[in-house]
Order: sequence, then C-alpha cells, then structure tokens
Amino acid sequence: MTVAVMKTKAEQSFAEGFSEVQEKLPGSTAVRAIREEAAQRFAELGLPHRRIEEWKYTDLRNQVKDALPPRSGEKVAMTIADVIVALGPLAHVDAHRVVFVNGSHRPELSSPGGLAGVNIQSLASALETAEGGNAAIAGIASQHSDAVMALNTAYMSDGAVVQVEAGAALDKPLMLVHIRAGKAPCFAAVRNVIEVGAKASARIVEAFVSLPGAAGDGQINTVTQVNVGEEAVVTHVKVAADAGEGVTHLSNWMSRIAKSAEYRGFQLTQGVNLARNQIRIDFDGEDAKLDLSGVFLGRGSDHIDTTLVVDHAVPSCESRELFKGVLDGNARGIFQGKIIVQQAAQKTDGKQMSQALLLSENAEFDSKPELEIFADDVVCGHGATCAELDKDLMFYCQSRGIPAEIAKVLLIESFIGEAVDQIDDEAIGEAVMAFARGWLS
Amino acid sequence: MLEIKNLHVKIAEEDKPILKGIDLVVPKGEVHAIMGPNGSGKSTLAYVLAGRDDYEVTDGDILWNGESILEMAPDERAASGVFLAFQYPMEIPGVAGLTFLRTAANAVRRKRGKEELTTPEFMKLVKQKAGELNIDVDMLKRPVNVGFSGGEKKRSEILQMALLEPTLCVLDETDSGLDIDALKVVSDGVNALRSPERAMVVITHYQRLLNHIVPDKVHVLAHGRIQRSGGKELALELEKSGYAEFGEKDA
Repeated sequence: MTVAVMKTKAEQSFAEGFSEVQEKLPGSTAVRAIREEAAQRFAELGLPHRRIEEWKYTDLRNQVKDALPPRSGEKVAMTIADVIVALGPLAHVDAHRVVFVNGSHRPELSSPGGLAGVNIQSLASALETAEGGNAAIAGIASQHSDAVMALNTAYMSDGAVVQVEAGAALDKPLMLVHIRAGKAPCFAAVRNVIEVGAKASARIVEAFVSLPGAAGDGQINTVTQVNVGEEAVVTHVKVAADAGEGVTHLSNWMSRIAKSAEYRGFQLTQGVNLARNQIRIDFDGEDAKLDLSGVFLGRGSDHIDTTLVVDHAVPSCESRELFKGVLDGNARGIFQGKIIVQQAAQKTDGKQMSQALLLSENAEFDSKPELEIFADDVVCGHGATCAELDKDLMFYCQSRGIPAEIAKVLLIESFIGEAVDQIDDEAIGEAVMAFARGWLS
Repeated sequence: MLEIKNLHVKIAEEDKPILKGIDLVVPKGEVHAIMGPNGSGKSTLAYVLAGRDDYEVTDGDILWNGESILEMAPDERAASGVFLAFQYPMEIPGVAGLTFLRTAANAVRRKRGKEELTTPEFMKLVKQKAGELNIDVDMLKRPVNVGFSGGEKKRSEILQMALLEPTLCVLDETDSGLDIDALKVVSDGVNALRSPERAMVVITHYQRLLNHIVPDKVHVLAHGRIQRSGGKELALELEKSGYAEFGEKDA
C-alpha cells in the first residue's frame, strides 16, 4: 500500500523552483542528469521530519515554512570593503580569500593571484567538465545522500574546488567566504570540494556571513567534502555567523582521513535561527587523528543541531569531539554524536563530550551520544553536561567588584574557550572568540 | 567604621536561623578577630558581609561608613570598599589570572570615579604587589587559581585584596591549609595592608594566625551570637580551654 503524503508548501516550492532554475544552473549534460535525479530523489524523500530517527529533534518539514528563490544569477553590487565589513573579526586573519555572494563566485572580490601549492577552481566552472563534475558529485558526498544533500546536489550553484598539492605547506589560511547580501531573501546552495595531498598541510576557513542591510531571511544549504591525504595535516574551521533574524543554515561536512593524517575541525554557529550541522567522518587509514570541536550560541527561538557520525573502519585511530553550547531565551540546542567502531578497528581511542550552558529557564539542550562498538580492544568514552551559570563563580567575580553582566560574559567566554582553544591557529581562534564576544554583548 | 546591629540571618531556602542577633563594631584602623567553633556561623557572617544571596537577613542591619549595605549587590559592596578573602578561593578555568585581576581592578576603579589603569600601569602594579607576596607573575597568566596549591590560592586572594585596595577586609579562615612559611607570607601581606583607613575582620578557628596578625580585639562567636569579647589575650585563653565553655566541643 502506498500512502500519498501531502507535500508541504516548502517541499512544493523547492520542487517547482528547480524546474524553473535548472536551465540556468552550471554543469555538463552529465551533471544536469545528476541534478535531475537528485531533484527527483528530494521530491520522493521530502524534507526530513521527526519520524526519521536522525531528525527526531529537528523537524525540517515543520520548521522550514517555504523555499526562498535562488538568486545566484543576480549580481549584488559589492566592493572589497563590503567583504571586509561582512567578515567582521575574520577580516583580521591574513588569508587567501575566495569570495562567493548569494552562491556565486565573485573573482573581483577575491584575493588576486593564487596561493602557492594550491589549485583553486570555482565549482561552477568545474561542473562544466567531466573531470570536475566527477570530483564534485561522484565523491563521498553521494554515498550518504539524504534529502538535504539531494537538495544541494540539485541546486548547487557554486563553491570552491580546491586541490592542495602533495607535500605543499600553505603559508596562509585559505578562506572560502560565503556572503548573504541584497534586500531580496534568497536560497543559496553551495558546495566546496577540498582535496589535500599526501604530507601537505593546510588551514581552511569557511565563513558564512551576511552584509549589513541584507534581507532578514535567508536559506543556506552547504556541503563540504574534504579528503585528507596520507600524513597530511588539515585544520578546517567553519564560522556561520549571520546577522539575519530568519536564517536557515543546513550544512554537511563529509571528511575522509587517510593513514597517519591529522584532521582538526571546528564549527561556530551563531545568529542563525535554524541550523543543522551534519558532520560525517570516515577513517580511511590507520594511525589517523581527528579533533572535532564546536561552539553554538542561541537565543530567541534559535534551533541549532549538530549531528555527527564518526566511523572508525580501520585500526589505531584517535577521535576527539568537544562541543559547547550557550542557550538563552527559548533557544534549543541539539547534539547527536554517533561513534562507530567497526570490528576491524582495534586500538581505537575515541572520546566525546558535549556541554551546554542554559541561561534561561526556557532554553533546552538535547544530547544523544551513541557508541556502536564492534571491536573488543578499544578505549571509548562520552559525556554530556547541561548546567546553568555557576552561582558560586558569579558571586566570586562579583565580590571582586566585577558587575554581574561582565562576570557573566567572562564565565561564558571561559566555558566556550575550552572548545575554541582546540583551533590550532591563533589568529583564527581569536577571530572566533571575537564573534562569540560580539554575540554575547 | 563597620557596625553590625542585631543581625539575624537564615539560609534563603530554609527556615533554620544561623545568626541570631550579632552586634559588633569595628572602627577603622582596627583588626578584630572572630573566633568560634565549627558551625557557629563565622563563614555565614563573612558571606553576608560580602552579599552572597544564599543567605537572607531577617532582622538587623549592617552599616559601613554609616550606610546600610544590605541592599547593595556584591560588586557594589566591593566598590564601596568591602573585600572578602575566601576560605576556599574559587578556580575559574579559562579565565587568565591577569585578565581577571585587571577586569576587577578597573571595574572597582570606575565605580570609585578613578581612571582605569592602562596595561603598563596595571602590569607594573601587579608585578610589585605579586613580588611582595612571592607570587610569580607567570602564574597569573594561567587560569585563575587552577592547579594552584592551597597556599598559592591564599596568596592569590591577598594579591587581589592588595590590588582592589579595600577599606573593609574580611578574611575567612585565611590560615586553613597553610604551612608555617605560607602563613608567614600571607600574614605579612595582610599586615602590610593595615592602615588607619582600613578595618579588618579576621575569622579563624585557631589562635596561631593571630600570632602573625595581631588583633586589637577578639570576639567569640557561638550559637549565632557574640558570646564574649576581649583583647588579644582572649585568643590565647581559648587556645588552652577550647570552646567547651560555649557548649561546643573543640573540633
């Protein structure tokens, strides 16, 4: 028996919107076929809802009311000075910038020239060639394709395709800047594909920010694929710090870590009304290390979900996760962390921690750690805490003359600082802290 | 001058009274010791002076320089000169000691209508005061009190006191957890702050601290009231007889 499920307004709009824009989206004939297939898949799946276990806490079907139109073809007039304003504290990080506005590459706003040891191409142009299209679509992202991923594959308009040469050591961070701009609310689907060669080292920052005066509403669907080569060292930071009131941020990180490589990931989410940060990590070779951390800050009706899966398929790898949230008003934070240790993955060392600080009675934090262990010689642990600001510490600070409001900020900074400290680049760490400080004050 | 009048205090969430009518006057320039058995309300008195909201004043008043401080928040009390050296100084992971000290010192200066200290001025001051207390400035780059020994924590309290320049110092069991050498350093630090402009209340269970910080007066607190007051010789007497006469076993 088939049950016809009513399509929501948003589901209909995404489906209809695709047929309207599909001709304008970049890509070879093969890419077009894949897009259509993905659109079809999305139409079948619909938006994820609470009856799907992984989406229990984040019911997109209910929470995404409508689809905003994609506007990647419309060019919002902007200057480099605007980029600097939109970047806020991240503008102080000396980085090679590749700038995208509403989902379109803007070379004139990006850093001139190249960055030694790296080949950077826009996704739009890569999709026109068979080779580039394969890299973007046939990679790991297609293997774990849910409705949100399918939507991205159908609609993706641009992004960066980055290849770091084997053995290269990038002398400055590569910053992929995605800016929301213009008075018209829009939907942007972007995809970044990053390949780091063996023994190379790179620091990559993804920024999702908005230009002052941008529409209050916006929808971002972003996918980032990272392949960390053998013995490579990669720091990967995502900052989603918007200023809009009704911004939806759907993000997928898909990272594969090769033998003896080190991958350090961090995500900051703030100023986003509805966020789902999905992270999928696959260990592909022995003796690799993962350090994943993040900070999420919510107030008002913000809903911020971090859902990660770390798959230990091979022996002797180490994984660490530390996520910290600060929730005020009616905000809700969600952390779902699944660690899979396959039978072959002996000597796995995995530790996970999620912690939330609730600043109001109505704030809520849901934490669901899951360990699926099939190997017998492993060390794995997880923990979760949820607390209010420590009254004793508040009193201690106040008794030293520090007013309650300043004491509160000091203690919150110290709480999230532990996670921010995992970023092994001082300038990026400081910028992240400055964003958080801006949110707090 | 500190004037405590008929002070009655209970724990905010409970009905059990802890302080049952304390009367105490500490003029500027004097050091008064408050001694007493465990559970007599000594620490409660210290916390109430500093404004901790776990306690509720049900009757009486606390006047500092002629004005009631009961309605003042802890940070306002600090600005008006009140300082409590904690029996168990708190650890604040993630907040560097120097940041904490500078935030506190400048918050207090702002409220007192003084210019904030610039970074060089502040560093100079910290180095000088820390030196006097045998505190390595490098230690202050670490998070507040994290990983400090008992003695280091107590010295760090006295450093905070020296930087905030209070006029009413309340020291709660400052000698607990200190070895003889640390006791000497801490006491010297406190004695250096004695001045005709400052009143001090030294709370202690044992007499030994009072060999180093010699009080002008000693009060015995038991059952929530001041039971006896006298000169510094009262402390020696208590050391011999214990608190038995006040209906408590010496703990």
